[in-house]
Amino acid sequence: MRRGRAHARRGRIGLLFSMPFLAVFAVLYAGPLLAGLGMSVTDLRSTDAQHPFSVDFVGLRHYRRLLHDEVMRKAAWNTLVFVAAGVPLTIGCGLVAAVLMHRGVDRARALFRVGYFLPHVTSIVAVAVIWRFVLDPQSGLLNEGLRAAGLPTAAWLADERTALPSLIAMAAWRGFGFDMVVFLAALQGVPRELYEAAETDGAGAWARFRYVTLPMLRPTLLFTSVYSSIGFLQFMEEPLVMTKGGPDGATESVSLAIYQQFGGGDYGYAGAASTVLFFVIVLVALLQFRVLRPRHLEAR
Amino acid sequence: MSTVTAPGRDTGAAPSVRDAPPRTRRARGERLRRTAIYAALSLGLGLVVTPFAWTLLSSFKPEHEIRQSPPTFLPAHPTLAGYREMLASLHLGTTFTNSVLVAAAQVSANLLLCSMAGYALAKLPFPGRRAVFGLVMAQMMVPGIVLVIPQFVVVTRLGLTDTLLGVVLPYLVWPLGVFLMRQFIAEIPDELLQAARIDGAGEFRIFFRIVLPLCRPALATLTLLSFLNAWNNFLWPAIVAQTQDRYTLPVALALFSNEETTHYGLLLAGAVVVITPIVVLFLCLQRFFIEGIASTGIK
Amino acid sequence: MRKSTAGLLAVVLALAGCGRGGGGTSGKAEDVSAGRIKGTVTVWAMGDEGQALGAFAKEFERANPGVEIKVTSMGMDVAHDKLVSAIAGNATPDVSMVGTTWMGELGKSGALDVTPNNLFDKSGFFPGAWDSTVYKGASYGVPWYVETRAFYYRSDLGVKPPTTWDETKQWARQVKAKGASMGVYQNYQVGSWQELLPLVWQAGGDITSGGKWTFDSPQVVTALKQWRSFYEDGTAPNKVDTGAFPNIFFKGQAAAYYSGPWMIHLMKKDGGPGFEKKFDLAPYAKGPAGNNTSLMGGGDLAVFKRTKNRDAAWRFVKWLTDPKVQVRWYQTKNDLPSTPAAWQDPAMASDKQVALFGEALKTAKAPPSTPNWEQVARVVEREMGRLALLKETPEQAAQAMQKGADQLGMGD
Repeated sequence: MRRGRAHARRGRIGLLFSMPFLAVFAVLYAGPLLAGLGMSVTDLRSTDAQHPFSVDFVGLRHYRRLLHDEVMRKAAWNTLVFVAAGVPLTIGCGLVAAVLMHRGVDRARALFRVGYFLPHVTSIVAVAVIWRFVLDPQSGLLNEGLRAAGLPTAAWLADERTALPSLIAMAAWRGFGFDMVVFLAALQGVPRELYEAAETDGAGAWARFRYVTLPMLRPTLLFTSVYSSIGFLQFMEEPLVMTKGGPDGATESVSLAIYQQFGGGDYGYAGAASTVLFFVIVLVALLQFRVLRPRHLEAR
Repeated sequence: MSTVTAPGRDTGAAPSVRDAPPRTRRARGERLRRTAIYAALSLGLGLVVTPFAWTLLSSFKPEHEIRQSPPTFLPAHPTLAGYREMLASLHLGTTFTNSVLVAAAQVSANLLLCSMAGYALAKLPFPGRRAVFGLVMAQMMVPGIVLVIPQFVVVTRLGLTDTLLGVVLPYLVWPLGVFLMRQFIAEIPDELLQAARIDGAGEFRIFFRIVLPLCRPALATLTLLSFLNAWNNFLWPAIVAQTQDRYTLPVALALFSNEETTHYGLLLAGAVVVITPIVVLFLCLQRFFIEGIASTGIK
Repeated sequence: MRKSTAGLLAVVLALAGCGRGGGGTSGKAEDVSAGRIKGTVTVWAMGDEGQALGAFAKEFERANPGVEIKVTSMGMDVAHDKLVSAIAGNATPDVSMVGTTWMGELGKSGALDVTPNNLFDKSGFFPGAWDSTVYKGASYGVPWYVETRAFYYRSDLGVKPPTTWDETKQWARQVKAKGASMGVYQNYQVGSWQELLPLVWQAGGDITSGGKWTFDSPQVVTALKQWRSFYEDGTAPNKVDTGAFPNIFFKGQAAAYYSGPWMIHLMKKDGGPGFEKKFDLAPYAKGPAGNNTSLMGGGDLAVFKRTKNRDAAWRFVKWLTDPKVQVRWYQTKNDLPSTPAAWQDPAMASDKQVALFGEALKTAKAPPSTPNWEQVARVVEREMGRLALLKETPEQAAQAMQKGADQLGMGD
């Protein structure tokens, strides 16, 4: 009986603690979210900004148009590639950097940590200049290097086949510092005793990583992979700055296409595309929640 | 790699190692391992730091040298022109203050409100908890561009156009922060909280005295990420601010970026001004990343 | 599930009294008083113009005591979103600079005041510039400054600039033989529609006729053929990064390109020492129809309907478009005057390169002021990109543009 009352009290406090979030959500997100969904079934355009309700209902016309829109279809495929390649690459790099730094570095720690985080904070303008210098088809560092090594060169961003991989590499490079920081924080929570015990049992470095570190990092892994997936599914900044979606749509992403539809004033259509993107993101996240569900719940 | 790092295993590096007693051999292996890690990390460091170093160095170059192709690394004709142009045309005092105020408000609100929500979602079962978590995730996942105009309409209805409060309002509780804190707090053993409850501690006390101190690395992470989010935010502040007195740094800097006539000197000087506080903050916070749960007493 | 949500929304919309009414924008002009003006006028302007306008407007304040001009400069990248949000949130300024290609969109939105007849006379402006302000017969703003395109070329190669389409092809081969490995740089990425429109006009055609898109007309195909021929000949690069221009021109890899007057300043500033002697400008070469019509661009000034200080707002716009003030603005910002009268000033004739733009402005045309032009432009750019990579024929590109544009309609 007392237990039950304490439980109920805890529940009330839980609700109370969630209130600030719920309040901000109710005022600033609930309406706009519904508006986004709503505009996708109307012919709302930027020209209706003054009277957003005097528009016509068009049903699923925009959704049907999405299916036949070649630009969107190509963008969807590109986005899929971004996610499939970019997410594991980014998280992998972040994890490796964090583990190496956690286990192997005692001197100049701060330098390494800040250094690896820098790509994430350096402005895209400067990053773009440097990467162009590296990837320039005529006189880029990369091609100069390949030429010196007697290897074939490529036009990188200007070539349809290499533009997408180049941007993925660039995005992973920009993003992994974020994951590294989160992993570093999480690694502090892994009790040293666990490593020592594993070491006594004769576990090698790989075994320790696989059976001690990785399971302990599950919640963080879930966090970073959900976050990275959202980021890559909404991939836009790199193509916008580096290729404008070209050549011939090779780096066009769904978010970039949506952004351009908004810019073109077709809010109904952009709303429909955003709605679909949103549900894809939700699906991907649900999948990740399923795969990376905390193990200790199962063990119990 | 594992052969080098495996404790007690023969590395075969030199006869002296082979003959050495096990402890020394292990220490030798350890040293080798460290050297390898340092070498790898230092190599990587070059790859990640170069653009920043270039930004810093190039902020002291004249315009045509920045545009030069191939670019120079060290400034051939060092100048402060970029910084002078920035000071002359940016109202740096006002924009910097605005940025600091926005970031401070956002970070402190995030630290408190995200950890509260994160704690509730991780440890305090209440009816509709799953739904609330669903809303957190939904807010995190919705493509932001859809929200901008309707949100601006809400902010004008609240009479907050052209105010810093209007700039901050949608970000007071950051869903990513809630998610981050939930993930971290979920890892705190229930037994610990249960023990405190048996000792008669209330939920507020448990939250402030046990949960938050245990989350220090997570809070340090949240501080950094939340600061970054506020500091670099661009589109929303640019739309809410209607006079230049309310502009934040990125909004003011964007005035100068224009397809072909970009003012590179000013922009790079601006980039340095934008990045420096982030680096300083990171350096201040980074010791909290190391001071982890292990050192605060949970076993 | 989606269907039921959609159905629900339809019901909600119907209950809220939605649906488009019959009435569009009225488009009736009201006069502005000539009496004394006072109070604050808020003005939004983009980029470099916004930076310089505040100080420049002091003169107007001195001439009109009691009037305060408050200029807010906004970034080029957010200007469009900012204007549309302001319209949606009922938070518009009194006056704003508006890109010429947004006039149809904002005009249709009903947020802009119709240009008062008693203050402005269309004959005082370049016809192409005035056209950019007109949507469905009514003008919703006034041209502030203008831009048009010309042929920038490396004069140090010693090849005389071309005067006809055929000569241009010839010219590209000659400069390539002289070491400019890329020939002529034609933009085939974002903004490439600006390359196409002049060629269409020079071929004697247009992309709209009688309220319909005409991308499938023979003149458009002729224009696309001319543009594509450089890629066939290997005398225009189609494998350059988006940021490679203008460096490829500085380095002499590309010997020419088409762009607007702002590039003169940039060439001199960033080309390095002595570069001003290495390049020059020429007008567009004449096409098969015998003209060399260029594209009209620039910035218009519009007053919002919800302004609380309409008289002062329009009078400020009037002042900014006064020929004498425009000459001073040119001397401040290098922006070209939108009024032919300003070009009579000796200050405008002194620079040969600038005078060349003055000549081109007389016949330059504006892109169609349809509210959805930006969207149609993306369709055009996509096909131009494919054409540059030689992935389709001019006929196929023209058909694809027509199909895409038809799908979008005229945006009315």
